[in-house]
Amino acid sequence: MEYLKIENLRKTFGGVVAVDNVSFDVEQGTLLGIIGPNGSGKTTTVNLITGFLKPDSGKVLFKGRDIAGLRASKITNLGIGRTFQMVKPFYRLPAFKNLVVPLFSPRVKRMGGHYGEKDTLALDILEDIGFERDSAVPYKPASILPHGYLKRLEMARVIALQSELIVFDELYSGLTLAEVASISPMIEKLIETGKTIIMVEHRLKELFKIAHKIVVLDQGKKIAEGSPREIMKQPSVKKAYLGVEL
Amino acid sequence: MLVYGFINSVILMMIALGFSITFGISRVANFSHGGFYILGGILTWYGLIKLGLPYFLSAGLSIIIVGIIGAVMYRVVLVRLRGLELSEVIATFSLGIVILELLRGLGVFGYEFRNPVFIDGSVEIFGVGVGIQRIIIVCAGAVLLLILHVFVHHTKMGLAFRGVAQQEHTALSVGINPDQVSMLSLAMGSIMCALAAVLILPLGVISVDEGYDILIKALAVCIIGGLESTLGVLVAAFIIGYIEVLTSMYISSSLTSVIPLACMLVILLIRPSGIFGKSKEIEERV
Ligand SMILES: Nc1ncnc2c1ncn2[C@@H]1O[C@H](COP(=O)(O)OP(=O)(O)O)[C@@H](O)[C@H]1O
Ligand SMILES: [Mg+2]
Repeated sequence: MEYLKIENLRKTFGGVVAVDNVSFDVEQGTLLGIIGPNGSGKTTTVNLITGFLKPDSGKVLFKGRDIAGLRASKITNLGIGRTFQMVKPFYRLPAFKNLVVPLFSPRVKRMGGHYGEKDTLALDILEDIGFERDSAVPYKPASILPHGYLKRLEMARVIALQSELIVFDELYSGLTLAEVASISPMIEKLIETGKTIIMVEHRLKELFKIAHKIVVLDQGKKIAEGSPREIMKQPSVKKAYLGVEL
Repeated sequence: MLVYGFINSVILMMIALGFSITFGISRVANFSHGGFYILGGILTWYGLIKLGLPYFLSAGLSIIIVGIIGAVMYRVVLVRLRGLELSEVIATFSLGIVILELLRGLGVFGYEFRNPVFIDGSVEIFGVGVGIQRIIIVCAGAVLLLILHVFVHHTKMGLAFRGVAQQEHTALSVGINPDQVSMLSLAMGSIMCALAAVLILPLGVISVDEGYDILIKALAVCIIGGLESTLGVLVAAFIIGYIEVLTSMYISSSLTSVIPLACMLVILLIRPSGIFGKSKEIEERV
């Protein structure tokens, strides 16, 4: 049984076919990259998998169970976490409180703990991800944090959630090379600890270094699938990415 | 004047708080607020006078019943209308009218519909005689604000509520069901509304028309203060509360009912988001 199996997923918005009969599998403990030009349906695919959109047709089989169309909070509690391409922190909460919210989610409930006790845990997670603990940064409201920190906060949220399958939507966009270089190893570490990851990414060079498999979307359709090495050679991919150096 | 303005302001705050809490968390403008208020009062009256229940039992039950009605209204009707703001307003307003007009049809009119004060008597404050009921209202208002503050800022449920209010998508992505939170926010708002009714109505008779008045007052206070701001509710209640008392003392008491509306219009003209309201953040796509 496949860990995650996407079957003939389709979603239209009015006349626009955003995702057009897309199918692919993700093996447990691997990293799948989804690439494609802007508007090719990557974010829509993420939304369909994580319950933020209902597909017109098709299935999302997670460990054999069709989860397509379930409420997003339900899917989260089944173990699938996501980040947002456009960062969406709880703007008026301090950075560390942003993590206390997921730490109280039903998914991590078994760890117990009362209000206040989870603050330390939240600060630990933030420290691991590069929020200097002794600085004021973890205590600042999310609304005044720079973009690089907000991106990392997105990632910290799914780590706090202890999701087993994590979907990152353009986590690297807007980050400096140095920031990407510091985050990439963390993602590899997540894989090592048994997590499964789907990364929608525009930063192909960085993605190809850590991905096991790549799916290429163009105008809602899957146009190629294979190892990063194979994908780099595909003429159809080069065409879709006209001008992008692979 | 000082004392009466103060009491009047606290009363206004109590009336508006339930509306503001519900809106602040779930963005539902509960236009059945006035209906719930009168319902809370009349249920208490019914339990007390007709069924002979002890006062506090009758009041407690009424508050719980109104809370449940609020939650059911969300669960059955509003959940289908989420995002359609006008439909939400029409639905809640209709329910409010149904409640009020049903009560009118059942013959709720006149002096007999009156809840007794909790404790008779009055004390003197700054040389003014003040009924004990009014003192109870002021104390209850302060306690309510305190409880609310502790709930929102120091409990995990309060944190979840703030999460949903600030960023619904992210709340969903960490496993919070916003519909559940919104339902609870309606229950909470309705409970506060009925609580206000139980405390305040003994000062006068229970009349159906007051239901409409209460809704307008709650709206005025919330819009002037800024719709989701509890601090705004407090400040706006005091502004309107004192202007009302001043008007009835120095101009004419028949004008007081116009004051909240006049203040609301002025604020809408000069600062549409209210004194403490935040201008809308730009909605981003998922
Ligand atoms: N909520 C929506 N309403 C209408 N059209 C949408 C919506 N979301 C996405 N689309 C359209 O679907 C297509 C795919 O968009 P998206 O999945 O965001 O692409 P990507 O993430 O690959 O850039 C685009 O044409 C976009 O305009
Ligand atoms: Mg996208």
